[in-house]
Amino acid sequence: MRMAIQGIGVSGGFGRGVEALRAALQTGTVEVQQGCVERNGGTDIFPAYRASIDGLDEFIPKRALRRIDHFSKMTLLSACLALKDAALLEGDCSRMGVVIASGYGALKTTFDFLDSYLDFGYSCSSPTHFSNSVHNAAAAHVSIQFKATAPSLTVTQFEMSVPSALLSAQQWLAEGRVDQVLFGAIDEYCEVLRYCRKQFFGLGEQGPLQPFSFDKQSAVVGEGAVFFVLTRADENAAYGCIDTVTLGNHLVCPVKLPQDDLLIIGADGHKECGRWYAQAFKGRETAAYAPLYGSFPAAVGFDLAVAALSLRDRTFYASPELSGAATSVVTLHRKLAEEKLVCLKFGPGGDYGLVRLSI
Amino acid sequence: MSVKEKLKKVLIEDLNLEDVEPEEIEDDMALFGDGLGLDSLDAVELVVIVQKHFGVEIKDMEEGRPAFQSVNTLAQYIEQRLA
Repeated sequence: MRMAIQGIGVSGGFGRGVEALRAALQTGTVEVQQGCVERNGGTDIFPAYRASIDGLDEFIPKRALRRIDHFSKMTLLSACLALKDAALLEGDCSRMGVVIASGYGALKTTFDFLDSYLDFGYSCSSPTHFSNSVHNAAAAHVSIQFKATAPSLTVTQFEMSVPSALLSAQQWLAEGRVDQVLFGAIDEYCEVLRYCRKQFFGLGEQGPLQPFSFDKQSAVVGEGAVFFVLTRADENAAYGCIDTVTLGNHLVCPVKLPQDDLLIIGADGHKECGRWYAQAFKGRETAAYAPLYGSFPAAVGFDLAVAALSLRDRTFYASPELSGAATSVVTLHRKLAEEKLVCLKFGPGGDYGLVRLSI
Repeated sequence: MSVKEKLKKVLIEDLNLEDVEPEEIEDDMALFGDGLGLDSLDAVELVVIVQKHFGVEIKDMEEGRPAFQSVNTLAQYIEQRLA
């Protein structure tokens, strides 16, 4: 069943809102922030794409947000922007389902809670940290805020979280359990994540992010949230439609890419995943946009937002970083005719998610 | 820093009262209800705050209830336990 995209809300290292994403696509540049962590061994400085939650109090009073963590605040901001974009911010959301995809969930809150437990014992563990560390907390905050009394779900399947969660959204719409799905993809940065990535990848985390240098580790940590208002495609779509969502494993059943579709790959500088893209996209017209928002599992949702925006703008945007790129990679913005777009994401073991979109 | 000053600081930081300054919390202002506007979940957080920052354990809420009236009463309770 096709799903129509009626609204998009987004916040990431490039800024907030669809206009900020469009501006990043048009210029092909985003200024990467410098992260800084003080440790016993000295100061650790590194590039990171961080998302701001400035502007959330335009939608929700500050006092109402005081028990809500950064992960849920990013979630709420993008959810508000998506509903505003779909002209549903003041509407009846009682038949709206909420589905969230996240590779890691509320990392900072989870580690803060564990730290407080380890440092001060169970009697000093914050009940607020605990409740926010539950994986479905962000989806619950969204449901409560908008009185969305239909089902509320969080799906975590690392790199495959977004396509996996999209299948649930599609099923709910097909069954008529909901009239709309507020679908989001979120991941957050935290210092523990930086520590782990530095142990695993060392200098490979210093940037710049080069998605087409498949045999080189060049990932740069990022965070952000993107939301979509999805309906059945019997309504006119504001951006375009999601035709199909496919999950599979390239080793068991090699990915079959539709012949003339344009490809957006989720390559984000992870060497372990890069080799799969090298095998799959040979000669096909391709773009990758991770240098605009960074490396994190939920970034597949940002690829999806770029695809939807491309359909609306009738423009296939150029890839922002071309090091190592083959000749078929899109180097200049070009007009879209009737082509379909496909977002392809590989996980390290050959797992793939394929989302096909069209007008 | 006095116990009262430290209490005001940690209340704001740990309860994320971003719109409140320490000097706006009067010593005898009610912590719950019409005063500072804290609620029942904050009461649980207060128990944690008092133990974490002052090393004073409040074992049951009946004992804590009179102490949780204001910064004055809470500071007095902490000082008594630390004496």
